[in-house]
Amino acid sequence: MRSLGFRFLIVLCFWYSSVQGQDRPYVIEIGQTAPTRLAVAPFTARSSDTQETVSTIKVFDEVLWSDLKFAGMFEMPSRSFYPLTPIRLREDVEFENWQVPSLDVDFLAFGNLQVYETAVVVEAFLFDVKTRQQVMGRRYTIADPTLIRRVAHQFADQIVFRLSAGASRGVAQTQIAYSAQKGSAKEIYVMDYDGNNVRTITANGGLNKFPEWTPDNSKLTFVTNLSSRRGWELWLQDLAGGRTVVPTPSNFVSSPAVSPDGNRLAFASREASGDNPEIFTSELNGSGRRNLTRHPAIDASPTWSPTGQQIAFISDRTGTPQLWMMDADGTNLRRLVSEGGHCDSPSWSPDGRFILYTWQAPKQWTHDIYIVEVATLRIFQLTSGAGSNENPSWSPDGRHVVFQSTRSGSRQIFIMNADGKNLKQLTAYGINGSPAWSGYFRAEE
Amino acid sequence: MMSRLGRNLCFACVSVLLVSSLGCNKPRATPVSPPPPRPAPAPADQPPTPSPTASISASPSSIDRGEQTTLSWETQNASAILIDQGIGNVNARGSIVVSPNDSTTYTIVARGGGGDARASTRVTIVEPRRLEPVVSLSDAEGLRREIEAGNVQDVFFEFDKADLSTMSQARLDRNAEIFKRYPQAKVIIEGHCDERGTEEYNLALGDRRALATYQFLVSRGVASSQLETISYGEERPFDPGHTESAWAQNRRAHFVAGN
Repeated sequence: MRSLGFRFLIVLCFWYSSVQGQDRPYVIEIGQTAPTRLAVAPFTARSSDTQETVSTIKVFDEVLWSDLKFAGMFEMPSRSFYPLTPIRLREDVEFENWQVPSLDVDFLAFGNLQVYETAVVVEAFLFDVKTRQQVMGRRYTIADPTLIRRVAHQFADQIVFRLSAGASRGVAQTQIAYSAQKGSAKEIYVMDYDGNNVRTITANGGLNKFPEWTPDNSKLTFVTNLSSRRGWELWLQDLAGGRTVVPTPSNFVSSPAVSPDGNRLAFASREASGDNPEIFTSELNGSGRRNLTRHPAIDASPTWSPTGQQIAFISDRTGTPQLWMMDADGTNLRRLVSEGGHCDSPSWSPDGRFILYTWQAPKQWTHDIYIVEVATLRIFQLTSGAGSNENPSWSPDGRHVVFQSTRSGSRQIFIMNADGKNLKQLTAYGINGSPAWSGYFRAEE
Repeated sequence: MMSRLGRNLCFACVSVLLVSSLGCNKPRATPVSPPPPRPAPAPADQPPTPSPTASISASPSSIDRGEQTTLSWETQNASAILIDQGIGNVNARGSIVVSPNDSTTYTIVARGGGGDARASTRVTIVEPRRLEPVVSLSDAEGLRREIEAGNVQDVFFEFDKADLSTMSQARLDRNAEIFKRYPQAKVIIEGHCDERGTEEYNLALGDRRALATYQFLVSRGVASSQLETISYGEERPFDPGHTESAWAQNRRAHFVAGN
């Protein structure tokens, strides 16, 4: 089988926008220019069209299609051009009909599904249309149809992994933690990356904000203000139950982040005798704490580089909050963005190349999302002219961004490609913010 | 010479007015008149002249004597706009800084082809009330009553600043005297921000505001053990609006009695 690696393409097309308002397109291209064309045939019943099988196939098809569409890696021609013959197994595929000019797909996914009394079985395939070779064949067995979304997400991630030659493991099985308003409280929730399957993490009636994942996805760290206690606490909440309160120097603590090796926390807090927020690091149990900034300005919102060697943060030491970086021991301080206005919420990309952040232009009252390329300090604008946009966070494959925006009228959570395109709204009710994208949940084969 | 003549003329005028008004007060029988006819509805073919609108507000609406507050107004469809209390004719929209000696109601009248519109706002002068000392009252309860009586005043901040203005320092001086009267009572200083900053930065800025207030009070002799701080960032706005005056209300250090 020939290598699929070169068929894959990553195009990050940033719309570069200087502060002077002169726009010009800026394109970063890696690999070849022809995008992979992918068809996903509707799945069919394996043995009989029972009502439950048909309705489960419908959910499976919708989830698989939207996962692959959102992946942003494929051209997926409309299903209206598809051949009409249903495909259950390889014998049903008429490859020449998938190579007509209107389709001309490189790869075809198809399969079958059956709901039995005690199990649901899905057989899923990916074929190279030109060589007519099987690229992937998977058989999934689940206990009942309520788990069908997981199977679709898993198959979507496996397709992305294979067709990107491992560049992405797919984000369809990832999750997003966030903070939602409940009366006067804010509680932490976790949902699937597509907004489904919301789970409650806290229900303590306090203010719970700024969740971040540990690299193994087993815990969330966030800050909590319980009405029964005064001030803010730094929490490490195990998603399987149980939590620890991490000691901090004072009752002000904000925006925690876990180091990529999972061993240290960075957070903003204040010395017990101090009067201004500084950046601290400590072990997960609070020991070995170090004040990295020691500057009489606001220093806040730390984010680790993927190597754990550096920390980017914001500081208003020059007057307004700007984006800075330093080594993880506090040395080698340097400024990354010097455009005036207000910067906040930096998030370092998984490949280390970019930092996402928000910027508010001078005398403007809304925030937009930008990326700075660390090596060149070039700046790319991802959102504009649609509400106030805050708290961006990278997907684990560095191809997508989750953020909060007021563009729909209230504060809600959105995801988009890292070029600002392919916008998708995840929440619609209440007030939702501080989203944080998880890491990958499982290794793909 | 001229001034004496002027005074005499004035006296004459007042006398005439007095006499005539006295004359009117004589009781006399008045026939009951029928109710006036209703005004005829405007002809349908004429486009109605739009009615004027007027609004006026004061921020802050309550101040100490000698402090300043800003009146802001906005009118529509008016050709003549007047604010009383000696302010006079004004533009369709604007603001002015006033410093009344006593609680004052300011009324704006907007007059146009479509009629008159009026709006009022009241600036309250807060009189510090000395509470009756009750020996049995605990410090905590005493401070709670001072706060309820409005004697402990919040301080306000400029956008993106945690500096205490001269006016804020004067307020904190008065607050410090009250806190010192109840040394066993805990005071929680809450730092608040308007919604325009980011959530993360605002939580930090609210902490700075609370700490700046804390440090000033300690410098004025309040025991640090009596004071606690908390930042709420933009989480607990006093005015949920999205206007300059709402934002000004939300940038503050607020005092709460602790246990």
